[in-house]
Amino acid sequence: MRHLIAILIAAPCLLTAACSRGPTVNTLEVRAVRGAAELPALDPQSSKWDRVPQHPARLMVQDVTEPRLTVPGVDLVNVRAMHDGTNVVFRLEWADATSDLIPDVGRGSDAAAIQLPLQPGADVPDAAMGQAGKGVQIAYWKSVWQDDADRAGSGKDRVTALHPNATIDHYPPQAGGAAREEMERRYAPANAAGNPILTARNGAVQEIVAEGFGSATPTAVQKATGRGVWANGKWLATIARPLNEGAGSANLQPGQRTYIAFAVWDGAQRHTGARKMRSGWIPLVLE
Amino acid sequence: MARVTNWQIGRTMSYWYAENRPKRQFGAVFDINKCIACQTCTLACKTTWTSGRGQEYMLWNNVETKPYGSYPLAWDLELLKQLGPQTWEGGIYRGRTVFESAPPGERVLGWMPQSIDYAYPNVGEDETLGKVEKGAAMSLPQQIWMFYLARICNHCTYPACLASCPRTSIYKREEDGIVVLDQERCRGYQECVRACPYKKVYFNPSTGTSEKCIGCFPKIEQGIQPQCFVNCIGKIRLQGWVSPPAQAREDNPVDYLVHVRKLALPLYPQFGLEPNVYYVPPINVPPAFLTQMFGPGAAAAIETYRNARNDRTLAGLFALFGSTERTIPFFRIQGDYAIALDDDRREFARVPIYEPVHIRPAEDRLYQIMRSNTT
Repeated sequence: MRHLIAILIAAPCLLTAACSRGPTVNTLEVRAVRGAAELPALDPQSSKWDRVPQHPARLMVQDVTEPRLTVPGVDLVNVRAMHDGTNVVFRLEWADATSDLIPDVGRGSDAAAIQLPLQPGADVPDAAMGQAGKGVQIAYWKSVWQDDADRAGSGKDRVTALHPNATIDHYPPQAGGAAREEMERRYAPANAAGNPILTARNGAVQEIVAEGFGSATPTAVQKATGRGVWANGKWLATIARPLNEGAGSANLQPGQRTYIAFAVWDGAQRHTGARKMRSGWIPLVLE
Repeated sequence: MARVTNWQIGRTMSYWYAENRPKRQFGAVFDINKCIACQTCTLACKTTWTSGRGQEYMLWNNVETKPYGSYPLAWDLELLKQLGPQTWEGGIYRGRTVFESAPPGERVLGWMPQSIDYAYPNVGEDETLGKVEKGAAMSLPQQIWMFYLARICNHCTYPACLASCPRTSIYKREEDGIVVLDQERCRGYQECVRACPYKKVYFNPSTGTSEKCIGCFPKIEQGIQPQCFVNCIGKIRLQGWVSPPAQAREDNPVDYLVHVRKLALPLYPQFGLEPNVYYVPPINVPPAFLTQMFGPGAAAAIETYRNARNDRTLAGLFALFGSTERTIPFFRIQGDYAIALDDDRREFARVPIYEPVHIRPAEDRLYQIMRSNTT
């Protein structure tokens, strides 16, 4: 009977919370709820997110290492998470007045990232990119990679997208006939060198390991995906990955308690690299 | 921050890393007085290295007209303004370098251009300081001035780009001191673009990485001067190796001009990077402007240059500029010739110190006409 009363009292409250006062807020931890089939890995606007508790993660300026961020950017990212026993999806929501996709001189690309300790346990690495011998794994969503994938069908490269009215009569390296592709590759040295910054293998998210500032290295295995949608002055972005990615990765399992951290870059404010808003470690619970 | 020796400012200074000079340092001398801003150097570089997508307005070598030209826009004025008035006492710089004046949270005092700032590489071209009184353009001394400033990466001893990179993607080659940016490691943070006071690191929006002059190191490795040197039709450039003053040698052409005769000066030495492209300052420009741009040695350098033609060593050495494709590590004057020598002191090029002069009278008596030098 006591249970029934509790349910009778709780049910309308939950309903009210979901319908009129927004989601349930959990300020203590990020709770990845066990979701039904078909996680909305690439759909940050899915109604499935409405029923997931939200953690408001406070962000602070990165002021541990030079270059530091001295002018604060967005100070809050709302996080929801879901898993199905195999994959986990985080949905990040943060305010950003403008959508900045392609980086140019003095202009960054909007981005966000989640960070997990490589080794589980209470003895966490430095929340600022880890430390020597105690690494972190980062899944980094960057809007330019997503935009590249979205533009791929239109044949528009980054330069023409940035400067739609520019006229470029001729790129000499393209005049090489059969050797054209090779020449064009050579005239984009980062491309010729195989720099992983050029693209994310799965469209928009790159997985990185780090043991301190300046050591970020994309991993050989890239399994994370995600998608961001910008509308009405805010970004909604998902970052999804398998719970278990194998050796050398930050592996998760149902029932686990671990930690997670977040970072957000605002392209319009020239945030790149260490110039970012970041959180400390926040408890992460997988139901 | 470490304490390092910067001979160009006559004192030690703070730098992000400890002093670590390369085995030998790429060095160059540009004689500004001979530059006609034909931009052949600019094109030689551009067609060789930066013809690709995302490099449309990227000029590793550029030539701008001073005082009004600049590429990217106001690159030097922006920093001079931030740095504020600073002082020299004799040969010692008492002001603050870009490292010493770094604001809290930064490694270097810098500023970030916008892409539009690169869109006017020839702004101010050929413009003189002011208007000329009617008729005065034909009289001497000149009342107004301008000059052409050819610029490449200075392959600095203390590069600000290198100091600013949080990923250590930029390094200075041990064998020749050329500063290169690892295209595999760069993640496009643009800290180097912001930090380089000469704005000689460029962001490529197509790849999302930064790129810079590589000193044509594949040519340097073969003992050949870079593209912008060998294509210079005005023969204003010479590439060799520059030593710290204590190891300077009289038979090293760069050392001779920089250290022995103090005729070639670094560009904005007060920034503190110990840049390794040295300029013979233009003789028609007021000393105050030159002192700001090339340091306190400018006035003396001009005096030496005015007499260079009567100085057989200087005249011979300047005749070697543009005389050979090869890097000139050593030289000697012998009789009426200036001789370029390789590392083993073997001769590989020789030029007369003075070209023979033929004077044709204005009147051609044979044909009974007046000659004209117009065509």
